[in-house]
Amino acid sequence: MDFSVIGDNLSYLMLGAWPEGPLGGAALTLVLSVSSALASSAIGLALGVALAVTQGATHRALLAFVGFFRAIPVIMLIFWAYFLLPIVLHIDAPALGTVVCSLSLIGGAYLAHSVWAGISSLPRGQWHAARALGMRPWQVMRWVILPQALPIMAPSFVNQWISLTKDTSLAYVIGVGELSFVAAQVSNRVMVHPTEIFLFVGAVYYLVCASLELCANRLARRYAVPVR
Amino acid sequence: MIDELLAPRYLGWLLHGFFNTVVLAAVVCACATLVGFVLCVLRAVDRGGVSVAVRAYLSVFRNTPLLVQLFFWYFGVSSLFPEGWLEWLNTPHTWRVVALHVMWPPFEYLAGFVGLTLYTSAFIAEELRAGVRAVPAGQVAAGLAQGFTPAQVWRHIVMPQALRIALGPVLGQYMNAIKNSSLTMAIGLAELSYASRQVETETFKTFQAFGVATALYIAMIVLIEWGGQYLRRRVAYPH
Amino acid sequence: MKFRFAAIAALALFAANVAHADRLDDIKRAGVLRVAAFDSNPPFGFIDPQSKKIEGLDVDYGKAFAAKLGVKLEIIPTNPANRIPLLTANKVDIVLANFTITEERAKQINFSIPYFASGQQFIAKKGVLTSPDQINKLRVGVDKGTTNEIVLREKFPGATLVAYDDTPFAFTALRNGNVQAITQDGPKLIGLLANVPDKDKYEIPPFSVSDDLIGVGIPKGETRLTDFVNTTLRELEASGQAQKIYDTWFGPTTRTPLKRIFKIGDKS
Repeated sequence: MDFSVIGDNLSYLMLGAWPEGPLGGAALTLVLSVSSALASSAIGLALGVALAVTQGATHRALLAFVGFFRAIPVIMLIFWAYFLLPIVLHIDAPALGTVVCSLSLIGGAYLAHSVWAGISSLPRGQWHAARALGMRPWQVMRWVILPQALPIMAPSFVNQWISLTKDTSLAYVIGVGELSFVAAQVSNRVMVHPTEIFLFVGAVYYLVCASLELCANRLARRYAVPVR
Repeated sequence: MIDELLAPRYLGWLLHGFFNTVVLAAVVCACATLVGFVLCVLRAVDRGGVSVAVRAYLSVFRNTPLLVQLFFWYFGVSSLFPEGWLEWLNTPHTWRVVALHVMWPPFEYLAGFVGLTLYTSAFIAEELRAGVRAVPAGQVAAGLAQGFTPAQVWRHIVMPQALRIALGPVLGQYMNAIKNSSLTMAIGLAELSYASRQVETETFKTFQAFGVATALYIAMIVLIEWGGQYLRRRVAYPH
Repeated sequence: MKFRFAAIAALALFAANVAHADRLDDIKRAGVLRVAAFDSNPPFGFIDPQSKKIEGLDVDYGKAFAAKLGVKLEIIPTNPANRIPLLTANKVDIVLANFTITEERAKQINFSIPYFASGQQFIAKKGVLTSPDQINKLRVGVDKGTTNEIVLREKFPGATLVAYDDTPFAFTALRNGNVQAITQDGPKLIGLLANVPDKDKYEIPPFSVSDDLIGVGIPKGETRLTDFVNTTLRELEASGQAQKIYDTWFGPTTRTPLKRIFKIGDKS
């Protein structure tokens, strides 16, 4: 196997056409990954708290909303958001924004369940005691519940981030120039070295995701509830 | 926008794709569960480099994107095969098994199956491991004290409990397998997302084509969700 | 007060919609012409390894349009299946990507007059495909979202079609033996084969199964933009620039020499 094709195209694979063009390659993958991670954490937190405190019809509506985003394949959501949303709602969404939004909504939906589970795992007594002390519901959430629940959920957040990083490869279907897309372009131009190129691409993703996994394991060990 | 419905011909394509998705996902889930189970057991083996090898496998397959893995199996690996193998793999073969004609599937099905199974098995192995860890240590100790051999402890005490605990997460992985099957459209496997793209490019009825496909995916997921809830109520331990 | 606000809002919305109806003005105002072109199909559109930009015959036409309008050119990479969705979703202004003119497509988008002509041909390993009758027994690789797929399905229903995202993927499948032939426009196949290291193993059988006219894809209803494109195309032919663009990519000194038989204006 001849790995020189990687060396010849390294800057294109890592940075895309930058600085003579837009950012692409592995750098763009990182940008997409970080943006989606932040956005999905915010959405997941908001939805998870909402799921924990609502009841009845609102609760069921939220569950259905979250359920939809957990059921739809990522590729389908990216197609909808990129090609159909502009026709339906007349909003013009750039490709990058579409990918970040789609990944954030799906990641947020998964995180919502984790957040909800984390909040529910705390003893009910915490709520009652805090309310008895005169705290408002949002104060209870902010000062008593979340500080205890979040560290336990931290590994879930990091695992979701790993998932998001891998899912950025799907931006390839709408022509976003992240790592998988530029690797396919290089492979299409060079023709005879698909194995080497995809092994290299796999290795880059592996480096990023495996480091995140180490983080997640460390967090899990620090904050884990001891098994009885 | 939704001026008219899709002609039966195109609905037929979508249903054919749906059928492919269901069959592929079912086969992948069955095999991935077996492989995941084996991996889970092997990971606990203390001898040799077995545990290290399994952990390496799990790490690699869980931390690389499925799309890249599929490209690797379809484009990369097949360029490494000798010519004779490829010819055999790509010519249609039919065998008679009892009264049925069993056909050798085209290469993209093989690559898709291998890619999806290896990927899903890594996640199922981790879920099963979490289930095993959740079984209280006292159970193992009590079993050994009663005179069970370690293998018997696994078979009769740990595994039944671990499987029940892990049922929910494993079903979640099955749902992921269904959604991940949509990625095989990139290697030419004619499943549901591929079919919806075909229909969309020929009829230009984007909304209907993607709408039907999305509805079918959601229906599959919801069915598994309900089936899972039913099973869990009957079988799983609250944890 | 509320009524006045509502009236102004309605007027603004109305004005925005009216202004939005003309793409040519929008392009001039934005100062940039967004063109969808192929990124993996030499010599029509491909990534130049030195400049890392998309170059090719279609891109040269795009440059000519942008220069005439006095705006910048922005190339958005596409594969065959995304061409129409990009237009209808307003992600690009025009499509210059080996876009075959068909009646079905003309219902969704506007086409310019043809600027290129080609026929649908095949690549196969040497000796595999000698006449069209054999096609019905083969596995053929096609590109998603192309007329080639539709033509094959109509004329050769016995063939097994496998659709890939773009031609190089189909070619890799051909090389690996996953399909026995691939089909695309003749010039694209010639361009593909010229860049392949093991081109001696493959051949393009000398028959074609359709005649295609290639046009510029334009959003539906944009008459001023369509007229502009048509006028510019005719001017390019008259001034000899169209010939120059053709010679840059298909001329006798290139890797893919191909005689020019179609001139802009031959068919409209």
